[in-house]
Amino acid sequence: MTTPTTFWRLAGVSYVQYVTKASSTVRAALKEPAKSKAMAQEAFGYNRSHWTGGEQGGKTKVDALKSVGK
Amino acid sequence: MVLSNALVAARRTATSALRRHLSTPAPAASTGMTLNFNLPQETLYSGAAVDSVVVPGAMGEYEVTADHVPIVAELKAGTLTIKAEGGEEKYFVPGGFSLTHEGSTTDIVCPEAVKLDDLDPAAVTANYEAAKARASSAEAGSPDAAEALIEVEVNRAMGGALGLSLA
Repeated sequence: MTTPTTFWRLAGVSYVQYVTKASSTVRAALKEPAKSKAMAQEAFGYNRSHWTGGEQGGKTKVDALKSVGK
Repeated sequence: MVLSNALVAARRTATSALRRHLSTPAPAASTGMTLNFNLPQETLYSGAAVDSVVVPGAMGEYEVTADHVPIVAELKAGTLTIKAEGGEEKYFVPGGFSLTHEGSTTDIVCPEAVKLDDLDPAAVTANYEAAKARASSAEAGSPDAAEALIEVEVNRAMGGALGLSLA
């Protein structure tokens, strides 16, 4: 890879993480009616399912990414 | 001899004046530019006929009008101004990309776009100060420091858009 030139790349932050952080910063500075509407964009959740023999098992909600994959 | 040379020279300049070298004829009267401005959650402009767009490129701000040379730019946190028949619309964007194509079509995509009126100057100032404190206390070069610096940068840009001068 070429030498990183941006402070965030040098710190190990990817572009997607950078632009997502910048978007959150903008949303945090909004006034009330627009703010609640925009904060809905920030919400995210994860589901997990186990695949066996090409079949997807049931989906369960994931509370923390750190607990997945163990 | 001198007279015939003069006539040859006169004829040569006359024909070369009619034929333009190294340039293409100007296109027929341009019809204006088309703008597509999309966010992941919403389409703000789709195939809209506008006069021009002032784009906050990371390498510098520029204005796109009809027949602009094709250009691709990453956006920085800043104000995007769309000038059309009915007046000007300003949006503050945290980042994104702007692609101007051959044929006066510009596609702009941003993760978020807010109206300047929806921004709270007090919140911007408070968040800016908090982020600055966090940036100086974090370990230099760590992801936490980078996140704080991103907040500092974006809040400063918002301050600039709102007319606050945040140091």
